[in-house]
Amino acid sequence: MKRKFQNSQSRLPDNTAVKQQQLPAYRLQLSAKEILSGFFATGVFCLGIGIILLLSAKSIKEIEINYTEKCANCAKLRENAANFDRECTCSIPFYLSEAMRGNVYMYYKLYGFYQNLYRYILSRSNSQLVGTDIKDVTNCSPFKNSPDGTPIAPCGAIANSIFNDTIVLSYNLNLSIHIKVPMLRSGITWWTDKYIKFQNPGSHNLSSAFAGTTKPLYWPKPAYELDEEDPGNNGFINDDFIVWMRTAAFPTFKKLYRRLHRIQHFTEGLPAGSYSFLFLDFPVSRFQGEKSVVLSTLTWSGGSSLFLGLAYVVTGAVTWLAFFSMMAIHLRLKERKVFFLQ
Amino acid sequence: MKRKMYFSLSHFHITAKYSMWSFLPRYLYLQFSKAANAFFLFITILQQIPDVSPTGKYTTLLPLLIILVISGIKEIVEDYVSLLLVNALKPTALGVPWCTTCFIFLSQPQATCYVATSNLDGETNLKIRQALLETAEMQTEKQLSSLSGKIECEGPNCHFNNFIGTLYLNGKSPVPIGPDQVLLRGTQLKNTDWIFGIVVYTGFETKFMQNAVQSPLKRSKVEQVTNLQILVLFLLLLVMSLVSCVGAAFWNGKYGANTWYIGKKGNFGLNILVFIILYHNLIPISLLVTLEIVKYVQALFINWVNEDMHYRRNDVYAMARTSNLNEELGQVKYLFSDKTGTLTCNIMTFKKCTIAGIIYGDHPCLITESSEFSDPKLLENFEENHPTKEYIKEFLILLSVCHTVVPERDGNDISYQASSPDEAALVKGAKKLGFVFTVRTPYSVTIEAVSSTLCTFQGFINRKRMSVIVRTPTGRLWLYCKGADSVIYERLSEDSLFVEETLTHLESFAREGLRTLCIAYIDLTELEYQQWLMMYKEACTVVQDRAQCLEHCYDTIEKKFLLLGATAIEDRLQARVPETIANLLKANIRIWLLTGDKEETAVNIAYSCKLLSGQMPRIQLNANSLEATQQVIDQNCQDLGTLLGKENDLALIIDGKTLKHALHFEVKKNFLNLALSCRTVLCCRLSPLQKAEIVDLVKNHVRAITLAIGDGANDVGMIQTAHVGVGISGNEGMLATNNSDYAIAQFSYLEKLLLVHGAWNYFRVTKCVLYCFYKNVVLYVIELWFAFVNGFSGQILFERWCISLYNVIFTSLPTITLGIFEQCCSQESLLRYPQLYTISQTGDIFNIKVLWIQCINALVHSFILFWLPTKMLEHDTVLQGGYTIDHLFLGNFIYTVRSSIVSMIFFFLQFSHLAVWGSIMVWLVFFTVYSFFWPTIPISPEMTGQAWMVLVCPYFWLDFFLVPIVCLIQNVIWKSNTCRRTLLEVVREMESSRGQELDRSGDPLCFALSGGYAFSQAEQAVVSQEELIRSYDTSKSKTRRTFFPAFSESSFE
Repeated sequence: MKRKFQNSQSRLPDNTAVKQQQLPAYRLQLSAKEILSGFFATGVFCLGIGIILLLSAKSIKEIEINYTEKCANCAKLRENAANFDRECTCSIPFYLSEAMRGNVYMYYKLYGFYQNLYRYILSRSNSQLVGTDIKDVTNCSPFKNSPDGTPIAPCGAIANSIFNDTIVLSYNLNLSIHIKVPMLRSGITWWTDKYIKFQNPGSHNLSSAFAGTTKPLYWPKPAYELDEEDPGNNGFINDDFIVWMRTAAFPTFKKLYRRLHRIQHFTEGLPAGSYSFLFLDFPVSRFQGEKSVVLSTLTWSGGSSLFLGLAYVVTGAVTWLAFFSMMAIHLRLKERKVFFLQ
Repeated sequence: MKRKMYFSLSHFHITAKYSMWSFLPRYLYLQFSKAANAFFLFITILQQIPDVSPTGKYTTLLPLLIILVISGIKEIVEDYVSLLLVNALKPTALGVPWCTTCFIFLSQPQATCYVATSNLDGETNLKIRQALLETAEMQTEKQLSSLSGKIECEGPNCHFNNFIGTLYLNGKSPVPIGPDQVLLRGTQLKNTDWIFGIVVYTGFETKFMQNAVQSPLKRSKVEQVTNLQILVLFLLLLVMSLVSCVGAAFWNGKYGANTWYIGKKGNFGLNILVFIILYHNLIPISLLVTLEIVKYVQALFINWVNEDMHYRRNDVYAMARTSNLNEELGQVKYLFSDKTGTLTCNIMTFKKCTIAGIIYGDHPCLITESSEFSDPKLLENFEENHPTKEYIKEFLILLSVCHTVVPERDGNDISYQASSPDEAALVKGAKKLGFVFTVRTPYSVTIEAVSSTLCTFQGFINRKRMSVIVRTPTGRLWLYCKGADSVIYERLSEDSLFVEETLTHLESFAREGLRTLCIAYIDLTELEYQQWLMMYKEACTVVQDRAQCLEHCYDTIEKKFLLLGATAIEDRLQARVPETIANLLKANIRIWLLTGDKEETAVNIAYSCKLLSGQMPRIQLNANSLEATQQVIDQNCQDLGTLLGKENDLALIIDGKTLKHALHFEVKKNFLNLALSCRTVLCCRLSPLQKAEIVDLVKNHVRAITLAIGDGANDVGMIQTAHVGVGISGNEGMLATNNSDYAIAQFSYLEKLLLVHGAWNYFRVTKCVLYCFYKNVVLYVIELWFAFVNGFSGQILFERWCISLYNVIFTSLPTITLGIFEQCCSQESLLRYPQLYTISQTGDIFNIKVLWIQCINALVHSFILFWLPTKMLEHDTVLQGGYTIDHLFLGNFIYTVRSSIVSMIFFFLQFSHLAVWGSIMVWLVFFTVYSFFWPTIPISPEMTGQAWMVLVCPYFWLDFFLVPIVCLIQNVIWKSNTCRRTLLEVVREMESSRGQELDRSGDPLCFALSGGYAFSQAEQAVVSQEELIRSYDTSKSKTRRTFFPAFSESSFE
């Protein structure tokens, strides 16, 4: 018999483990003992973490003040276009029974604002925001251009609907002395946003860099005048603007507004006492949902939500429950199992 | 027209599937005719509509292109390899005298030639073909070139045994041409150096090709289930899209007025497209190509396999000729096996004999694999005047005289040409013992015995016996007869000796599966002979019922036999056949033997390969008409009663004639019921088409996988019909191999192919499919959950490229690893406990139900995967520095946690460090790098800084550990159900402990006797064996054509 395959030499199997399919294989081999001890250990782990999380969440101080109702008057006033320039302040006093130690963060929280809508999220121009092409408004529909055809900067639905209430926290040392709590408006954005993703168009003079564009429809002033105190915080790199542009995942969301500048009275955080919020500006109030302002401290793990801690505790408890019931079954079947195996 | 001219290589015309130019259009057509690919093309087109796609324009195009390129490369490689293989085969094909066209036999020195038809009908004996008298004398090319005329013959058809034609030679009267002048494609010329012929049919017109079943496209059951499930997923996709659209409508009604910030709204029609695009990834885009790759590698494993499947003698390796059916090998329930060349080597050896009550050749140490008869005791007894010396002499003379073998002297060596390999074995055996058959003339034979030269003769052959009347040089008359024990024993004289002893020996031979022949003689007187001769001559001249008269005439002299002994011929089985069959039976595979050979031979082989055992009751179906068949089948069904439909320890034996009726429309169902109730089914005398029909019957009426194995052209039909066709390669014909799905060199390799590769591949492919469904459902249903918080707007949660590359990059590695390296348990265990095969055979681990369970499991996991992080992040500040998060943060958070759970699920599939940690690492590295793209590389600005923020978030790591625990705890509880342990788990445990062995309850193999006998004569041939041997006169010059009338006065030399 002649060889059928001339190339049979090359068909000789190499004696490698791969080709011979003799790679060492690990298979999950669950013996009763291993499972039970695994369950037990998992239960311990989950309960432990859960309790730690609960405790640390409890240590957080948080206060939330809803100002939708209380400042409704101002909102109404502003709705009339004639009162565009009139100042309206509304003040909400509150009392902090315990001091908030450490870093204190001030958030604004919106209820029922869907920043996660598909057409909303798409409506922005990243190349504009990174400063490469100020007139690129391709993706900004339906807020691309003003009615006269000038491209909007920053364009798009997100930018257009920016949160622009002004909130001031003051500490009432006594009835007559109200100290404005020093707040930092920097360092509230992701580092990459401030230094990579958002860049002003390259020009010394910001207003000339924005030449040929117009302000968004609902904005009272153009982007390069957002921060009157700090000229470096204007244009696309304005912190408040950047924070807003990072679209929230849920219809109810908090966004970082200010953080406590720990100087003078506040080196330790916010001392206990009486405070009040002043809401200064309501440039536009088309928003129909609720708004509130939140003061909060943080711990290593995060905020004040108990959910994760509870989830861990429940998981741990369920694991232990499974552990005990399986133990019981195992002990009961042990004798029978011996028979089965033999 | 010498022989070389008709050795065309037409059956190696496997041309490449693609040419350089046709590749692209053909390939694209092939790919897009697959529903899944067409669907993704459709999605790609949809995405081009502005404002509709939430995932950008090219996110489906890219993975689709990747997949097309990968499977295109695979196609090219496969095409190239098959081309190489064909090229490798071509030169070797030349050496084999194969007829590849049908042609009409014109001339040859003896005007006759032998052909082996085992490839067509599985019969072991050679057939005789006879040249036309009118052309027989034309033996030079010059003579032939003078020949002119025409041939009229019937059109191409599939009947092997029929041929009608007429040869019109110029100036001569027309000559009829029958099947005896036709050499068919697929037959093999034997014992003949050359012949002249005229080609009548070529290529597809040949009867062989006409018999070929249209090669069907075979798809595996797993593939069908998978396709069905893809369809189900598509429906799920539509349902999800509709639900989302309705949700969007509701949401718009409720909150739509408040969304002043969005500027414009979508409509329902547009929304549904948005959602279809959003959820389209639910359909695993990479599944098909992953399976293709996995199966391709699996096929390579079969080709590469270790030396276990390497037949050293021929240097032939196993070869997977298709990779579509790899997992089907793990599900075989019915095995249809050919006999000749598949179970047996088609080599007969004279192994044992019993002479005068003494058994020879039974010495245990002398029985080795290939040893022929060699027992010094026989010659000792013969030479040393043992009391049985005379019997031994008569016995050996009989062996060397009573046969139809033609000797051919080649120098000093004599070779024998025999139509029946049994006879050749016996004559060779006698030669070895000193009784050399040297010359045959029409009425004499000469043997060079130890002392004398003997002469003859009068011979006649009947179905189950053959007799010759011999006159020795000393003038004594003998009648020698050999035949089946049943025939001989009923004709024994009362004075016959050794009857009991021989019977015992026959039983012991039969128990070993040897083919036995009884040997007997009569000492005739001159008077008896002359009387009989007269009677015989009369009978020969009778016009009516001549055959009957002759039969009667034979009977008058063939009586009062004196028993000499018996021979035992081994139809050698291939190595390890009985063990393989025993293991396959243990694996709950039903084996049906389908053969073209005679019933007795088939039964014999079934015994020797332990397919039949002595205690096994047999149901024999032999009926000549439809009514009779129906009746006998109904009767048997009734007898079985409640046992019908169950598996009984019964053997069903049926022949081709009865089967023809049994396959009739009305009888078919009952016949099948009966056959399925038997453990073993033997079908004899089947035509190739019948073989295919019976396979088809089982395939269509039983929901089980069938496998057909054969080596010859007569098996091609059933090989193509069965779900899986296996060809035995390495024998001379390549036809079976070329039409098979898998080619192996030995029957015993089937064990490894099925029990190891089949089972492995099944586990691999099914787990691979399940995993693909799991990972897709787990990820993309999250989009639906997210729709509940984003007002059904169609917003995606993940970054678009992360979605589109999920299948082709991030999860391809574990999927392919699973498909290639998964081992349910080790090779040794699978071979040791064939029962494990039933796991894959029943298909319980992969069906629609299992797929649904897996999908629901994935649904639950995706629920946990989405809502746990959502609830954690919803009202909380999770980043140090008080930074707030965005939707993509949530997306990346979930996506990364997903990588852990999708890997952890591997603990239940097959753990592999590469797959588990590899896939997590691939994602993390990609994630990190990807977050630094913008604005240097202008893609995905939204990812900027995400990796850093996610990976430093403590909540992320807490969730990263919590989600797998929550998700998998139920699976662990499910899995660790300690009271219900399967055999597989027990075996695995043993493997890991390498401890005690399972006790194997092996039945003591018992056999009982059967009367097997070796007598393979052509029965229906027009030129009978008897006539043929009369035509030979080997004492004369070879080229002389000798063809004598059937009978004349005996001549003595």
